[in-house]
Amino acid sequence: MNQQDTTQLRNDIKTVARNASDQIQATSQRSFLKQNIPRALTLLLVVPLAALMVQAVRWYGGFQAGTIIPLPVWLLLTCLLPIGWLVFRLATRQFEIDRHRALLAADEHLGSAERITTADDFLQRQQSDGFMQAAVEDASQWAKQGRDARLNHTRQEMPNLRRSMLSIPLTALILGLVIFVAAYTRALPITPPGNGEPQALVMVPSAVTPPRSEKPEPQPPQQETPAERKESPRDPRKQRAVNRQGAANAAIPDNAEESQGKLNEGETRESQQSSNPSSARGAPSASGQPSKSDDEAKSKKKKPTVKKPDRDRKKNERKQDEKPSGATSGQGSSKGSDNNAAPSDWASTSQAATPEDENLEDEDEVDDEEEEQESRGGVQPNMRDRRTPVNRDLQIGFGSNRPNPDANGRGGPGGQKKSRGVASLVLGVPIPDRVNGQPNKGRIRITQQRITPEPEQSEPVPAQDRAVRNGPVGPIHHPDLSPWLQNLVRRYFLDQRKKNPLTNTSKETEPTTSPDSLQTTIVGESDTPQS
Amino acid sequence: MSSTLSADTPAEAREAAEEFRSVHAMIRTEVGRMIVGQEATVDGVLAALFAAGHVLLEGVPGLGKTLLVSSLGKAIDLSFSRIQFTPDMMPADIRGTNVLTENESGGTSIEFQEGPLVANLVLADEINRATPRTQSALLESMQEKQISVGKRTIKLEDPFCVMATQNPVEQEGTYPLPEAQLDRFLFKLVVGYPAENDYRTILRRTTSNEQIELKPVSDAQTIIRMRHVVRAVPVPEHVETDAIKLVMATQPGNEHTASMVNEVVALGASPRGVQALILAGKVRALLEGRFAVATEDLQAVAPDVLRHRVLVNFQGMSDGITSDDVISEVLR
Repeated sequence: MNQQDTTQLRNDIKTVARNASDQIQATSQRSFLKQNIPRALTLLLVVPLAALMVQAVRWYGGFQAGTIIPLPVWLLLTCLLPIGWLVFRLATRQFEIDRHRALLAADEHLGSAERITTADDFLQRQQSDGFMQAAVEDASQWAKQGRDARLNHTRQEMPNLRRSMLSIPLTALILGLVIFVAAYTRALPITPPGNGEPQALVMVPSAVTPPRSEKPEPQPPQQETPAERKESPRDPRKQRAVNRQGAANAAIPDNAEESQGKLNEGETRESQQSSNPSSARGAPSASGQPSKSDDEAKSKKKKPTVKKPDRDRKKNERKQDEKPSGATSGQGSSKGSDNNAAPSDWASTSQAATPEDENLEDEDEVDDEEEEQESRGGVQPNMRDRRTPVNRDLQIGFGSNRPNPDANGRGGPGGQKKSRGVASLVLGVPIPDRVNGQPNKGRIRITQQRITPEPEQSEPVPAQDRAVRNGPVGPIHHPDLSPWLQNLVRRYFLDQRKKNPLTNTSKETEPTTSPDSLQTTIVGESDTPQS
Repeated sequence: MSSTLSADTPAEAREAAEEFRSVHAMIRTEVGRMIVGQEATVDGVLAALFAAGHVLLEGVPGLGKTLLVSSLGKAIDLSFSRIQFTPDMMPADIRGTNVLTENESGGTSIEFQEGPLVANLVLADEINRATPRTQSALLESMQEKQISVGKRTIKLEDPFCVMATQNPVEQEGTYPLPEAQLDRFLFKLVVGYPAENDYRTILRRTTSNEQIELKPVSDAQTIIRMRHVVRAVPVPEHVETDAIKLVMATQPGNEHTASMVNEVVALGASPRGVQALILAGKVRALLEGRFAVATEDLQAVAPDVLRHRVLVNFQGMSDGITSDDVISEVLR
């Protein structure tokens, strides 16, 4: 490859790179437009919406009808905003195609396996061997093909705008029309009666919207009809609270209101009230008015505050009967509460005994017990505690095959407790929590009967000699005697022989029929000391 | 025929490249007389031979792995040795050892007796049946082309190529190859089942009296010269960049790494992977009639080159992800 061919190849590669770069750039711009035209279409809504807002402000502001800016200007702004945004984005967009990338794209388009890119690389090197030169020569044909080639991906058409995107300018147009029509239809002349001249187009605010008063005017008290009165107390608790609130407001003495206003600086009402134990107990205090904090706390606890004064009064009567000594602090506090209790009529009058109230009393029995314990300071026993405890057996229909009416689901001292865990998911299957000891199969029942002992008649057994055993003896184990035991036995027989020599001599002469090796051994060994 | 290469001019380069393709085609044709089908495997083995690398063949029994390597040894006039790896094999059984021999004068002397590793083409059959200790005896020979026994270092004759086979099924009683040795293999070729037509040809050849005798169509000097030709192929800069990025993309925690690789890959490819990519790419470029490596060459050889260099972690294994999946993700 001579110098001319090399120069020609360089020019061809340069042309290929330039063409590829231009085409890639054009493709990139098309792709950019494809991505951003929908966004620009969205911008079409900005100006009509802004115009709509301005017009709305004008309507409510009482200004004159019509538009501040002429309608053609609005339309011009509507069209110019997206176009200007697109132009700005295109101008500020930085997209450059380098030579290497352009050549790779051309190679990919031509299917030359990067021959042009490789040749461009090798041509820029100072030294080249035979393979490099061969690679450059190999790329010359492809470079000639690539000069006039158009890349495939540059044949992209203009973006197809979806119908949803086309709805945006349509919406903008409709908005503009709405603004235009609304601006001039709201400005219809209001002709006063008797005046034939058209009145100036003035948007009177009072005509558009009713005048808003800062403070609601006091409504005259409406007399509640009996039918309404009958329907209104759906929630008896709320109704009683309302009734008591009304009664309490009526029963607030003037001095109580003054005392509430006489708080020290930095001292809250709650702290002031908490210093008084009687009021802290929630009983009717000296002020006779439950504080706001108390109401909030009671509403959080969902306790019926309605029933409480009545019970407190009954409790106070019971305490007065018992005449407590008042020696302890707890009694002192309760005593103070008693002394400060102001009996009020509203509590009793508002508490009409109804069946609904009795139900409420049952629901809040547990909470009431706790409060009573608190109010009594835990000293005086509650008489209701002396009743028999509830049967906490969980057996459901077992034993007597009928439901246990006293079972409250808390478990108890019985052998079967409330099951826990997965077993609790099985309904009606009591799981034994404690298993009694069963040494044998089945249960052992020990019964005691009070009976009178009675004599039994039995025949006397005649005495007889003990007979010889007829049955087999069975296997008899003959363990080998330990040496010390053998020695002991040996000495015993030696002593016996010394004491009764005749008997022993006769025994020696008799052949031992017993296969007992012990005796044989003893006899044999007994000779040794004598010899 | 000289083993040196002179490719200073384009004509010489074209001639060398043409010779390369010719030699490759002759060996492939001769081996193809014995091996039915398995063209990709044969091409991979020949590419590893020309790229001066080693190859690991993995496949179920009966696919002709051993026959392929032995046929290659017959088609090329090379010294061929086969080592059947067993669990009780020791490194001395492969490398050789000093033995006490009796000389002619009646005295004794210690002489080094070469093992089967001293050959041009070594078939390491069922390499994963040997213990790691014995497997490690191949490390030095595969990388430095030499073996050291005692104070003696023996330079292995060029060309030296280890072609190992392993069975992926019979993993019981086998010892997986350590990563250091896996990395020394240029390719890991997965041998698949033959096609239906290939079965007919196999039956005709193996169940009749037809005897196929392979003749050597090349020799060691030619192989060495072809290796020089391969190494003379230039690599453009952008291809080098692509190869480097491709290997780095398999390494977890790298900037070029995809999130999938970070999650499922325990060990990525090493710098040997880049070398193997370029060498294998050069062979493919010559076979494709080009004088420089292109990116498509790297993409074509990447699975065989990186398959055994990318180790999938436990999470990837539990998800059923293989190293081939990782490589496909990297190439995407």
